[in-house]
Amino acid sequence: MIGFDVVGFLISWLTLFGIYSILAITLNVESGISGITNFGKVVFYGIGAYVSATLTTYLILMLNGIDVNKTPPYNINGVILLGELGNKNPFLNIGLFILAVVLSFVVAGLIGYLLTYPILRVGPEFVGFTLLSSGELLRIFLTHYEPVGASRGLMAIPNPFGWVPDSRIRETLYLILVLSFLALTYFVMKKLVNSPFGRVLKATRDDETAALCMGKHVPRTKATVLSIGSGFSGVAGVLLSYYFTSVNPNMFVPAVTFNAWAMIILGGLGNIVGSLLGAAIITFVDRALTFIIPLLGTTIISPDYLRGLLVGLLIVVVLLVNPKGLLPEKPIETPASKEVEKELSEKGR
Amino acid sequence: MINFLQYMFFYIIFSLPLTLSYRTTKVINFVHANFITYGAYVAVFLHGMFGNTSILLAAIIAFLIVGSMAVLDNLLVFTPLQKRGSSPAMIMISSMGLWIAYRYILYMLTDIAHFYISKNFVSYGRITYADVPSITLGGVTLSQSFIAGMIAATIVILAIYLFLEKTRIGRAMRAISDNEVLAGISGIPKDILINLTWFICGGIVAIGGVLWTSFSGAITPEAGDSMILQVFTIGFIGGLVSLWRTGVGAIIISAMENIGIAFLNAFLGVPVSFRPFLTFATLITTLVLFPPLGAGGGLPYRFRKRRLLK
Repeated sequence: MIGFDVVGFLISWLTLFGIYSILAITLNVESGISGITNFGKVVFYGIGAYVSATLTTYLILMLNGIDVNKTPPYNINGVILLGELGNKNPFLNIGLFILAVVLSFVVAGLIGYLLTYPILRVGPEFVGFTLLSSGELLRIFLTHYEPVGASRGLMAIPNPFGWVPDSRIRETLYLILVLSFLALTYFVMKKLVNSPFGRVLKATRDDETAALCMGKHVPRTKATVLSIGSGFSGVAGVLLSYYFTSVNPNMFVPAVTFNAWAMIILGGLGNIVGSLLGAAIITFVDRALTFIIPLLGTTIISPDYLRGLLVGLLIVVVLLVNPKGLLPEKPIETPASKEVEKELSEKGR
Repeated sequence: MINFLQYMFFYIIFSLPLTLSYRTTKVINFVHANFITYGAYVAVFLHGMFGNTSILLAAIIAFLIVGSMAVLDNLLVFTPLQKRGSSPAMIMISSMGLWIAYRYILYMLTDIAHFYISKNFVSYGRITYADVPSITLGGVTLSQSFIAGMIAATIVILAIYLFLEKTRIGRAMRAISDNEVLAGISGIPKDILINLTWFICGGIVAIGGVLWTSFSGAITPEAGDSMILQVFTIGFIGGLVSLWRTGVGAIIISAMENIGIAFLNAFLGVPVSFRPFLTFATLITTLVLFPPLGAGGGLPYRFRKRRLLK
């Protein structure tokens, strides 16, 4: 274990943990709490990443007075220019980051809302499948659409802290940024789940017909929650694109969705803290494998396949053995329920 | 036009079992994609390792192997979950987990095979079979895969029809798909029949996979995954209940994909690789205009507008 970079490992793990946790939390609210079988998480994630990447690279070149029709950011000259110009102006970088976050949230949320229209009026099977296939379509579209770099993708996306000279400090700053977005997501989703709207969501999941009879507009409820969740996954995509400073269509394969599903099933459907735990475990194993695999040398079976197999088996085995996950779902917390609990515990004494 | 018919045969073979298995077992089965791939890979391994060139032999072996794979899935995963009373969504998620697992198991198998016999199994070329002729009719050469596809599709349609309409077991199967509880009460051995359904469905799809090896230029472990959009869309057009409408769906989708995209390419310059978008558009249109009656959900909203107009 010579030269094992513990701090570097921790930073990269925690950054990925933050990004994936945002996905897992929103997926849990959509699937575990409101019962939308969202197999297309990667759509909104990819849209967020691509919106931010396209916006940043094009705007940086345009603001520096370069004709993007002649040197588009996806060819080699564009990448070199981006590398030179990208990290000069801190305010521009941070401003572009904020703009990208807002725009991705809006675009991903809007697309989430539009996609819900045809599918939320049919059963969960159709929802799951339609979203799954739209993920595949997004990838095909990105692979063949020239202005976003086709199969090469976009490279040299300037990090919002790209102007910081020391790489360790830069990574730490970015980590803090990611974790603060995670905290924001967690806070919003917790409020959402514990609000009256959250109770409507749970009612919808448990019995749609009953919820409808109680006068709740079920499709509209589902559309709202899906668009909020999609907006936040768009933000996760933004964070990812700035972290890797490049995007390409092969990053947005359905495996991303399955990883997020494995996280929430392992952590417990309907429990937000559980999805944090699941995300922590799975991203940790993932990162650890990336550090270990090069040490193994060549093997008969490629370790990547083993990783994929584990994700699939994990979903099946957890569903079979312990369908509630590590942390089972808890009743919602409201001011009233807290009062009742307090009363009960005092009486118990 | 030849391509259109060719794809139609494939889609019929792939999607009829999907409808059949859903309406009998009520499981949305993503492993369906693996059935296609595993069928194809049974043929590939037979060809690559033992030099087999008989499509009939490959089809029979694939039928048995993939059929038992489907039964195993049912016994180990779906039945325990259904007995526990999991929601259909949970069962669908478990089938998705199985789908991923199976895909990577196949990748591992190709790796192991590559280690022992230095052949590239991850992208395998087209297989030429010895026992299917290719016929030239009036200047048009009908390829091997076309002939084999035509024969297989005809046999599959006839066999499913005769089986469901004329035999006792087939009628019992239809009874289960119509009303599971009543079928159980009238003394039909439900579990055995559901396993049988899985066996037949997995087997038929595997035959389609074997045929795919004589058609596709490069067989990869994701061959089935790339077909899943089309196959499920066809199933949804049939509402996952009606076998006849599924057949019509197969014709519609293969026409859209082959003739429709050719028109769009000629007149609007749409690239041919955007073919899946047409299928997706069909899928959305189907869901909006004719919400499938078969699967759960949706029912409360379907007549909402009409009721409001009164």
